Amino acid sequence: MNMDEPTSAGMCPAPAPASPEVFQQLGALTRQLHDTLNQLGVLPRLQSSVDNLPDARSRLGFIASKTEAAAERVLNLVDEAKADQNHIARETRRLANLMVADPVKAVASGAVMNFVEDVETITQRVDQHLTDIMMAQDFHDLTGQVVAKVVALATDLENQLARVLVQAAPPELAQKAEAARHTSPAASAPASSAAASPTLNGPVINPEGRTDVVANQGEVDDLLASLGF
Amino acid sequence: MSNPTDMKFLIVDDFSTMRRIVRGLLKEIGYNNAEEAEDGVAALQMLKNIKFDFVVSDINMPNMNGFELLKAIKTDDTLKHIPVLMVTAEARKEDIVLAAQSGAAGYIVKPFTKATLEEKVTKIVQKLGAAA
Repeated sequence: MNMDEPTSAGMCPAPAPASPEVFQQLGALTRQLHDTLNQLGVLPRLQSSVDNLPDARSRLGFIASKTEAAAERVLNLVDEAKADQNHIARETRRLANLMVADPVKAVASGAVMNFVEDVETITQRVDQHLTDIMMAQDFHDLTGQVVAKVVALATDLENQLARVLVQAAPPELAQKAEAARHTSPAASAPASSAAASPTLNGPVINPEGRTDVVANQGEVDDLLASLGF
Repeated sequence: MSNPTDMKFLIVDDFSTMRRIVRGLLKEIGYNNAEEAEDGVAALQMLKNIKFDFVVSDINMPNMNGFELLKAIKTDDTLKHIPVLMVTAEARKEDIVLAAQSGAAGYIVKPFTKATLEEKVTKIVQKLGAAA
């Protein structure tokens, strides 16, 4: 079916064909807008912000996986610690019953010493679990740095889009919009740590295939050793 | 200092969670005497007012980053003897080399383990002891 031709009654009539002059005028206006935005430096910066969106997606994915891994790790450690605590509670009750029934036999049979050894082993294990739970909280620092970078990108994109809007708006609205933009939270927000240190990158999101970064502490030590440090 | 475990540490990081983690690990390793600063500016102020024996610093921080703090410490005659261990998520080789060339005593990349922190701190403390 030819989409250009109405085939039944009740359909909107086809618009009258525009004259070539109108097309030419529209084309000229579009080119003028494009050139003006380019001259104002809006388009290249907007393009740069848009180019960073895939990077922002990777970073958000990194945050999701880091927080999920930390939550999993903590919950698993808590499960293990609770099982150990239950074991100690059960053994304490059992030993108490043995002591009440026959204290001499409880000592002589080794039940008391076994219990003491159990407590010592399990408290060491629980202490290790607590350390691991503490270490699992490092996701806050790593994801925080990544969040700062994504926020900086979103703020930049917002500012670029606002500039496009202001440029395209009628003069009286543009003036109001510009004034509002300068008082918006995004415009007055303090620079994030990432923004304050543009040369620093924070955590490496995709280390695969990169030769300019290290993937673990072993590579740091090897690099420093190779330099004589 | 007669006993290395009496050493006074300054932990510098803009994330309070990380400061607590490092402090907790140092305590487990045997170093109970630690204070915290949230960026290089606060750290430098504390270093000028209080005697510290060891600095553990992040790099990516607002106001004054870890490289700037390291430089400030190493160019100050009254502070340059203090070892600075960098603990950071910055994993670029050029950053690691820059830290070493700027006088860092060690470099730990996040995320790290208790064993790594213990190994690096012990190594630096032993060097200090040998130099004394």
